[in-house]
Amino acid sequence: MSDDSETIQPPTNLQNKVEKGGPGAVDLDAIARAEKVIANLAGDYINWAKEDLIKLENAYAKLKKGDGDQKELLLGVFNVAHDMKGQGGSFDYELMTAVGDKLCRLVEKLDKIGPKEIEKIRVYVDAMQVIIGHKLNGDGGKEGQQLLMGLEVLVQKS
Amino acid sequence: MADYNLSRLNFLIVDDNKHMRALVKSILHALGVKSILEAGDGADAFKELRHFPADVIICDWSMQPLDGLDFVRMVRTGTDSPNPFVPIIMLTGHTEMHRVMEARDSGVHEFLAKPISAKGIYSRIRTIIENPRPFIRAGIYFGPDRRRKENPNYNGPERRKADKGEVEGSVGSISDKLKDNDDKAKTKAKAKAKDDGDDGGDTPELSQDEINALLNG
Repeated sequence: MSDDSETIQPPTNLQNKVEKGGPGAVDLDAIARAEKVIANLAGDYINWAKEDLIKLENAYAKLKKGDGDQKELLLGVFNVAHDMKGQGGSFDYELMTAVGDKLCRLVEKLDKIGPKEIEKIRVYVDAMQVIIGHKLNGDGGKEGQQLLMGLEVLVQKS
Repeated sequence: MADYNLSRLNFLIVDDNKHMRALVKSILHALGVKSILEAGDGADAFKELRHFPADVIICDWSMQPLDGLDFVRMVRTGTDSPNPFVPIIMLTGHTEMHRVMEARDSGVHEFLAKPISAKGIYSRIRTIIENPRPFIRAGIYFGPDRRRKENPNYNGPERRKADKGEVEGSVGSISDKLKDNDDKAKTKAKAKAKDDGDDGGDTPELSQDEINALLNG
């Protein structure tokens, strides 16, 4: 930071375009309505997640086959897992967010990939398939927690 | 609670994931926003800005070919930028400390961690409305003042003399929820920052409260 910095007041201010209170102002009901809108999209979310899983499976198949640029494919896996991680929690699929995060963390550290890494990716993708297939929302309950524990064990073993 | 009427504000949503755009758009509509434009990546968004007078941009980080950070830098410092002062909320699942600071240093106003909620989005919009910040041009940085609070106990050198007193208006104006969580989150964020060394290992991700506390000093 230097001494010759300059402070500039922006030409516009949002306060000139918003009113506080009155009809149409955001209140607790509006927030509740907006949260309800998200809840109502939960059905769509399952379909979005299924589309993402197809993308993941395709990238996985190519990785396993050694077909294409590994770095690119890994980036593809990361991007889809990152999207799934980001969306899950919004729709009460926190377990998906947790598993998506684990897959992101695994993939971002890889600079090369062998059978062990491919097996680990498979385990996470399978877990994501189970979450969507069984609609394990929230923390997934008992089944979800068993899935998470099983994941840890399998990944550490492989 | 009676808060702000957002119906006159124009929002630009920039995300390469159409589902995420749909989600953000639905939330904004439910909050009373009427004018929303979508763009699938940073380059498209920059083009849209030429004819769409956005009041707020909600922008994803990970996009191809131009990612969120590149887009923010273009908006802030591009010689042909139509609106360098527009408030930008960075929406992302990348919530590690260094990422938050990187986004801040690119010139974003606010940082919203995924997964998102209606409350989370509104809270960030509200912060932008209530805390209009001056812009600072210093070295290669151009963007909202990164100092959100004056620290009365600061005894160090004044690194930016020209900016003395620039953030007085923003002192103590963070949202109520943040006030409740501020101290706790700040302690946690600092502890994580301490752990977040340059060892190249895993860096912990921050919660939204921890991010807010970090950005609010």
